Amino acid sequence: MNPFLAQCRASFEAQATLEAGVAERGQRQAEWTRFEALGWPTTRLEDWKYTTLSGLEKLSLQNSVEPREEVKGVPPSLPLEGIPANRLVFVDGAFQPNQSMIDRLPEGVRLRFWSDLDAQERERFTHKMAPARALTAFGALNGALFTEGVWITVDAGCALEAPLHLVKVSRTGQRMSHGAVLLELGENSGLTLREHCVGNTDQPTHSNWVTAIELAPRARLTLVKVQQEGLLSYHTAALHALQRAGSHLQVFSFALSGALGRNDITLRLIEPHAECVLKGVYRVADRALQDFHTSIEHDSPHCTSDECFKGVLEGSGKAVFNGRVRVALDAQKTSSRQSNHNLLLSDKAEVNTKPQLEIFADDVKCSHGTTVGQLDEEQWFYLRARGIAADLARTLLIQAFTLEIAEAIPHVGVREEVRHLLSGTVEENDHV
Amino acid sequence: MLSIKNLQASVGDKPILKGINLDVKAGEVHALMGPNGSGKSTLSNVLAGRENATVTGGSVTYQGKDLLALAVEERAREGIFLAFQYPVEIPGVGNVYLLKAALNAQRKHRGLPELDAMDFLALVKDKMKLMEMNESMLYRAVNEGFSGGEKKRNEILQMVVLEPNLAILDETDSGLDIDALKVVSHGVNSLRSPDRAMILVTHYQRLLDYIKPDFVHVLSDGRIQRSGGPELALELEREGYAWVGDATNEGVVAP
Ligand SMILES: Nc1ncnc2c1ncn2[C@@H]1O[C@H](COP(=O)(O)OP(=O)(O)OP(=O)(O)O)[C@@H](O)[C@H]1O
Ligand SMILES: [Mg+2]
Repeated sequence: MNPFLAQCRASFEAQATLEAGVAERGQRQAEWTRFEALGWPTTRLEDWKYTTLSGLEKLSLQNSVEPREEVKGVPPSLPLEGIPANRLVFVDGAFQPNQSMIDRLPEGVRLRFWSDLDAQERERFTHKMAPARALTAFGALNGALFTEGVWITVDAGCALEAPLHLVKVSRTGQRMSHGAVLLELGENSGLTLREHCVGNTDQPTHSNWVTAIELAPRARLTLVKVQQEGLLSYHTAALHALQRAGSHLQVFSFALSGALGRNDITLRLIEPHAECVLKGVYRVADRALQDFHTSIEHDSPHCTSDECFKGVLEGSGKAVFNGRVRVALDAQKTSSRQSNHNLLLSDKAEVNTKPQLEIFADDVKCSHGTTVGQLDEEQWFYLRARGIAADLARTLLIQAFTLEIAEAIPHVGVREEVRHLLSGTVEENDHV
Repeated sequence: MLSIKNLQASVGDKPILKGINLDVKAGEVHALMGPNGSGKSTLSNVLAGRENATVTGGSVTYQGKDLLALAVEERAREGIFLAFQYPVEIPGVGNVYLLKAALNAQRKHRGLPELDAMDFLALVKDKMKLMEMNESMLYRAVNEGFSGGEKKRNEILQMVVLEPNLAILDETDSGLDIDALKVVSHGVNSLRSPDRAMILVTHYQRLLDYIKPDFVHVLSDGRIQRSGGPELALELEREGYAWVGDATNEGVVAP
């Protein structure tokens, strides 16, 4: 057993003993058993072929077992100042009531926490989390080790203009954090959720969250996630969404830093006229790796999906994009677009991109495209020929490549904020 | 201002420029004509610093400096401006951003204070009026989705904002409608001054009706085969290039 697993086992045993209810103990046990049965993901598995966890294996990380373990004095470098009302803050997996601001949410938005739920509610929560936890072995690990969970429900007809911020801080080195988010939107409701995954340590950390989403008919959800953890952070995340008739889901996922990131995203369009947009950017530094495994499942006719991921890789950075699109036999009139574009800034960078189209219906419009290339020399020359310094011209072109994704974010405030993150060193006010 | 001596350049192993000699003095306008593929764009690009053609011999002196030793952006900041034959689309980079960054890079290079957003916008809007361009163009990405004519107009907008010492216009007239040609010519003429020089690459006399050149050169097979006054362009318009030294017999079609 590798050090990582040994520590996970120790944590699981400690947590199972702490768990008051028999049902909860049984549930953690079941997830642990499933995790063990699935086995540690190695590159021998098709789903992990290009993503080696050898770095993570060596780490011995502590888990937070106390769901409200209060962290005093969140370090100033955390972006909490900039995050206004409606924020939920988790530090190392534990919920922080004092750092959070949730008292100004409208009545139609309810937040409940796993640790406050009664046995019956816990069972429902667990049941609804199951598809997300089923996506990978890390999902099972989450079920066995999770510290706290939040259940967000938006009542029918309630549309929240201001975004709700979910802040997940990896604050302490040598720690892992496992949390769960359940998001249920009622009919005709609307929400923008901005997810901040930030780090505040140069030590290794592992963040392993799962998110389950259920959208009632005509509900509209925008989820904007940004990963900006430390250089030595490991990030695994699973997202599962169920979309009912006419619902509209937009997921934006920006993986901007970290040693290794693995996102498994499955969106299921289970009733007619549902629409999903799935867009993302991965910026991979030297020796880092980002992996997106996405699956869009058209189970019902007249649904639309629009997927685009863009990657920028430096040094010996690696990226994996696996984009599965499945169109069931009776999902006629499906319209589906997928693309993946990569910019390799070095000869040593490597990307493994694989569209995986499984189309069983015949009356469908499906397209996909993949590119892997270098910076466009002509564009670079053009900017320099106008007096722009070579480095700045390069930076501008890299940004331009990824900004396109941010431009598609519907909420203007969140869009500007993400644009700013992507622009990094180039001052935003230079945009006039 | 510019002195080109026996300039030779190749693309890959293929020699394209085979010994160009050209002197351009401040205040002069030179028209550079010649059949397709003769090397006009290659020469323009070499002057701007593009590296897809390799200089294999000769020298270029610009304002007393060895031009070929300067980086692309240094040449631009020293006042060389190339209006591209095929302006590049750059999605994600705003037109207004490029203009401001370009102008301020040049001002900084010359020891002038950078313009703030207000002053800059005032300047640019003024120049846009001159170019009869819609202000909304400012907020679009560089050349993205612009029509052929709009791209050319945008090149000249950049030129009148940057006020170069030496402007090289590579077929800026191609693809312009008659009114646009007048507007663009007006923009170019507004920059004519005793301390600026221009090289106009063109196939057509029409541009030269609006922007009167002092000299006309015919480039063919990588060499300047003939030089003369404005009358040479008229002669070419009548007779084509069939008479020019090399074997090429592609004629010039009137617009
Ligand atoms: N990358 C390249 N590879 C091979 N040949 C090239 C390349 N770039 C230019 N050439 C060749 O160099 C020659 C000169 O091209 P150039 O574009 O300078 O001609 P031009 O005089 O500007 O023509 P036009 O009037 O059509 O614009 C042509 O024969 C062209 O095919
Ligand atoms: Mg040309």
